Amino acid sequence: MSRVDPQLRLSLALLATLAAVNLVANPARFAPEQLLTSLGLAAPVILVAMAATPSILSGSGGIDVSIGPMVGLLNVVIVRYGVGVLDAPPWLAVLLCVASGTALGLANGLLVVLARLQPIVATLSSYLVFAGLSVLIMPEPGGSVPRWMAALAKEFSWLPLAGVALAWSAFRWTPSHRDLLAIGGSDRAAYTAGVPVDVIRCAAYAMGGFIAGIAALAMTALIGSGDPNIGAPLTLKAIAAAALGGVSLAGGRGGLMNAGIGGLIVFLIDLTLTGVKASVFALQVALGVLLLGAVMSNAFLAQRRSA
Amino acid sequence: MAEVMRGTIRRWGSSLAIVGLVVALFAVGGVVVDGFASERSLRSILVLAAVVGVASAGQTLVVIIGGIDLSIPFLIGFANVTAAQLFGAEWPWPMVVLTTTVMTGTIGALNGWLSCRFRLHPLIVTLAVGTIAQGAVLWWTSGFPSGSVPRELTAVVSLGSATGPLPVPPIVPLWLAITTCLAVFERWTVLGRHLFALGSNPVAAELALVRPQRVWSITFGLSGILAGTTGVLLLGFTGQSSGTIGSPYLFQTIAAVVVGGTPLSGGQGTVARTALGSILLVELSTMLVGLRLPSPGLQVVFGLVLAALVAVYGRQKHTRELL
Repeated sequence: MSRVDPQLRLSLALLATLAAVNLVANPARFAPEQLLTSLGLAAPVILVAMAATPSILSGSGGIDVSIGPMVGLLNVVIVRYGVGVLDAPPWLAVLLCVASGTALGLANGLLVVLARLQPIVATLSSYLVFAGLSVLIMPEPGGSVPRWMAALAKEFSWLPLAGVALAWSAFRWTPSHRDLLAIGGSDRAAYTAGVPVDVIRCAAYAMGGFIAGIAALAMTALIGSGDPNIGAPLTLKAIAAAALGGVSLAGGRGGLMNAGIGGLIVFLIDLTLTGVKASVFALQVALGVLLLGAVMSNAFLAQRRSA
Repeated sequence: MAEVMRGTIRRWGSSLAIVGLVVALFAVGGVVVDGFASERSLRSILVLAAVVGVASAGQTLVVIIGGIDLSIPFLIGFANVTAAQLFGAEWPWPMVVLTTTVMTGTIGALNGWLSCRFRLHPLIVTLAVGTIAQGAVLWWTSGFPSGSVPRELTAVVSLGSATGPLPVPPIVPLWLAITTCLAVFERWTVLGRHLFALGSNPVAAELALVRPQRVWSITFGLSGILAGTTGVLLLGFTGQSSGTIGSPYLFQTIAAVVVGGTPLSGGQGTVARTALGSILLVELSTMLVGLRLPSPGLQVVFGLVLAALVAVYGRQKHTRELL
């Protein structure tokens, strides 16, 4: 564990370069008094990338394409019901968001493990269901959030990230973390070694849902309202970010740290290109080139390592 | 021997199940929705299924070799915009179609080659390459694609037109021809069999002298060509180009493949069943629209039905059965 993974080193180098570019191009964003607000701006994409990770780690084509719409659904649920109907105190609103996220993730997990649908099909179905439900619950963007929640995107923007980091560190202490990586590497070998493959795999999806709940909090705090269409585009961003950070899409390799770094990279790319006022299409091309470049250099490293 | 028999029954069983579902859904639709079984509605179902079907045929081949192609929606948009620009520049239409599909085919082949050569997950490669292609074409037209659509193209897809004696627009027989050709290709040509060999066991296939990079490039290239074709055809529908016109086809092509009973794990499946899957999907959405379901509700029902359908005949094996 002491040696730094070359993959991680590559992601970190990319991150450092982007940070340096932004520091020069856009120093105001990184002024000490702005730092927490900038973090609040970055938190949703970082957290969504993290939310996509446990299912990818679980291997055998594990992936949760519903993660974006899930965050979108939780956003409108919390604004419409948590804030609107219940006028919930902070603890209840947070609980509502995280618990419903976990439940949605668990539903995905059960579809994969019990109904034995291929993960991409299972989560594609829930993608459609979550996206549809979001619009049914809140047809138009609207609503507002209380002051304490808005603070989660400003002076307390570190809190959601710290919450996830803490929860994941705790999980890493349990043997289940190793089990998760084991089934991601080879579920057959893990199964013969007595690892409860189904339970762990299902739990991975539920964990993704849990993190999605926290991502939804950060997102809601940031936009200060409910928006039924905010979720869907997040899926591809999240998966791309995880891959950029060095999470292997084949499963079994990587962790939330990788995803977090990937999320930060995606955020900085967006920031850089909006900073230089490039057209959104140039931004799109740049994102694609970077994504391709990053996964290709990861592949080179992997080949060299195995050689 | 018994194993072979059981395999045959299973294969034909699921094909029959899909045909049965297509027929049953049509019957149900005819009963619950007014005018569902009318000639006009039948024609529109076929035309819409043809559009989904052409793109999904490419997705099927890619899935058979164990890949997945997320660049289809982007290439559809790419072809849509490029074709409109070229039509606008007064190119003759065969040249436009050829140029556009050759371009998308090349981009597709690049997808396959990169994924195979560098052992990258095709999910990420196709996503990245597709993003670049779509971004580039939109950048070129600065987001306001212009151009025009010739009347010949509109006639190919318009609901009212006919193909010789057939009462359907040419897009439907075109789709049928593409599906038939690809079904023959995958079943009876050496290259076609290589797809299945690579999909079920890449290591063994390579030992049997299948050249993975070549097969991956060709297969993804075919998918690119078909996505390009879809993009051009869509131009005839809308009469106006758009770089994002392909977005619904990301999930629709995957859904058509899966509903058609081709597992995403590779090594199995057929283009013919995907054609049935496309019809099934379009029937379902036509019926739900006919029931005056609002579109978000339609999405919810669609998701549930997709999960239910696949749970009926597309389940994966349990880990213990893989040992």
